[in-house]
Amino acid sequence: MVSLAEDVAIVAFEQTPSHARFNDSEQAMIMPCVNSVIEQVGMDRHDIDFTIAGSCDYLSGMPFAFVMNIDAVGAWPPVYESHVEMDGAWALFEGFVRLQSGDIDTVLVSGSGKCSPGSYREAFSLQTDPYVHAPLGLDPRTQAGFQAQALIAAGKATERDFAEVVVRSHANAKNNPYAQLSGDLSVDELLAEPYVQQPLRRLDCPPTSDGAAAMVIARADKARELCDNPVWIRGIDHRIESHHPTLRDLTDSPSVRIAAERVGLHDGPVDVAELTVTYSPEEIVLRDSLSLNGDTDVNLSGGPLTGSPFMAVGLTRVIELARSIRNGRGRRGVAHASSGPALQQNLLCVLEGDS
Amino acid sequence: MPVWFGAPVGRTAGLLWGRRWACGELAAVPQLHDVDYTLEYPYTRTTGPVIGPFLTGLRDGRILGQRCGDRVLCPPMEFDPDTFATLDPDLVEVGPGGEVVNWTWVAEPSAKHPFDRPFGFAFIKLDGADTALVHAVDTGGDPEAMGTAMRVRAQFRPERHGSIADVCFVPEADAAEQAIEPGEEPVAITEHLIGLRISEPLYPHRARFAQGLLDGKIIGQRSPVTGKVYVPGRGYDNMSRVLMSEADEVEVSDVGTVVAFTELNPVQYYGQTETEPYVRCSILFDGTDQPVIGIDIRDMTVDEMRVGMRMRCVWRDPEDRSVADIDNRFGNIPETVYARFEPTGEPDVLADDLKDHSW
Repeated sequence: MVSLAEDVAIVAFEQTPSHARFNDSEQAMIMPCVNSVIEQVGMDRHDIDFTIAGSCDYLSGMPFAFVMNIDAVGAWPPVYESHVEMDGAWALFEGFVRLQSGDIDTVLVSGSGKCSPGSYREAFSLQTDPYVHAPLGLDPRTQAGFQAQALIAAGKATERDFAEVVVRSHANAKNNPYAQLSGDLSVDELLAEPYVQQPLRRLDCPPTSDGAAAMVIARADKARELCDNPVWIRGIDHRIESHHPTLRDLTDSPSVRIAAERVGLHDGPVDVAELTVTYSPEEIVLRDSLSLNGDTDVNLSGGPLTGSPFMAVGLTRVIELARSIRNGRGRRGVAHASSGPALQQNLLCVLEGDS
Repeated sequence: MPVWFGAPVGRTAGLLWGRRWACGELAAVPQLHDVDYTLEYPYTRTTGPVIGPFLTGLRDGRILGQRCGDRVLCPPMEFDPDTFATLDPDLVEVGPGGEVVNWTWVAEPSAKHPFDRPFGFAFIKLDGADTALVHAVDTGGDPEAMGTAMRVRAQFRPERHGSIADVCFVPEADAAEQAIEPGEEPVAITEHLIGLRISEPLYPHRARFAQGLLDGKIIGQRSPVTGKVYVPGRGYDNMSRVLMSEADEVEVSDVGTVVAFTELNPVQYYGQTETEPYVRCSILFDGTDQPVIGIDIRDMTVDEMRVGMRMRCVWRDPEDRSVADIDNRFGNIPETVYARFEPTGEPDVLADDLKDHSW
């Protein structure tokens, strides 16, 4: 496990509900989240040292849409600011790394995405190989279908296993006021549904969602000054596999295994896991690659199958885990974010409550 | 339901906004439309020493793999995927037959897929290759025909441009013999037209702004914190980080002051519809704190424009006004609601008095 130069904690967080359609701008979605976290820490906005956001112009449907999003974070007079064309979890990663320099104390992190105006299947097909994949419209749902089929062919999962992930996720989401979908489903009824992407059915796939999330992180002394119950980031790591799905073993996630080792996942108990299960088969791959056993509560929030605002969904996993820790559902846990198709890129973040 | 294809409107950065809107009856064109456009742009890429011959091969009816030690990679790569060592270009023909090693059935094809009817995507290990190519398999819409270990064969499209989409696959028994005439020049550049379809209602404040223009009014929003008036409103005051609503809306004057202008000399990028130079200016309407940018002036030359010049909006007749080009993203006043902007003849405002409002 990598030792950290600076201890860093989450001191405030906020998220929007996962909306089927938010009929206003992305900025109007982000702004209340930003205002909430600033209010929680009780700081003057301009005393926050660094600001970073994650979003995707292809989803927003406008070149330089991320610049417009700056409207929502309070950037006048100008602030020290950055952006990643990634989920907000990667903005958190950059903010965390920035704090390791030890010269600043606080970072405002946000992530936002509106999937409803466009087609995320078409938008995210553009992040595949531009010569041999993108011109075919090779979309993330297709690649999830490949992963599902590979799991079945390898004898590692069945369609019933996928349906059980869906049932658990929707049941857990009943306790999550931010969830878009929730309820009591039956495995047999799910299995009677038609395929949308054989071997996947509609609820094996995420809903179309709009949403935003924001967070303030701080170095140790500042964290204790800003809040009574900081949630500590004990490790964070990001690993990437080939963008050629045919060169990967889709039934395993070596990138998750490496990241888990780097963050020292099993150096302590893993009470809670919030995983970016965008397609139900991914939970099976992730549980296995993270070596989770029955002691870990997985996706108490319901996870992305019950609300998936891309570009906020990974940061939201971190928030849901922090909330679980604050609420005493566990003392230590792991949040997972993914990018690229079929878990091509994975980020792990280990959080621990104040002891 | 008739569908109209509006003339594409050129935007900055070479982006085409090919608009399309539907209307119920020609006699009653609905003015407050849903936003519906395709943001489209051709990406051109050099192909390099390995992908270039591969795409040239596809155009010419052949599939090539790249030797990597004792293996053959297809799709070919410029590097060894295990060691990342650079590979010297060494291409060898593979296929056209192959075996499906993984597959999934696309019940709902997207607009970007190779087929508009249900089809299979598959990992295809071509005969003579050691790695698999992702590609589409057309079984005539029958998912039952797909399966692991099925034999497939390449079929080349009648029109080929040096693209992975020049080819597709069918069950081997369905394959036809093809005589392909090779092209001439190697494929050094490949072009991929990307497009993102955006479809959404006008945001409520945008709809009210658009309706105002139809009524010959310019609607702004007054910040409840600072009192500053923004036109058009964006639903928030970014300076104070506060959301704004209909309660914050005010009608503002249609007389204002030029705070910036430029002459646009249209570069003929993809999607450009303008051909002649024209003036674009920003006008700070009286009583407001933020100029409206992107007001186009067709009947004055750049030499006649001055910062500080007073201008008034001359509206079109109500029945000639249209806001069909208004979307949720750009904040100008479209030419389809005004006949022209004309100088009022009042003395110019001193530029120094505009310095906090220039854009």
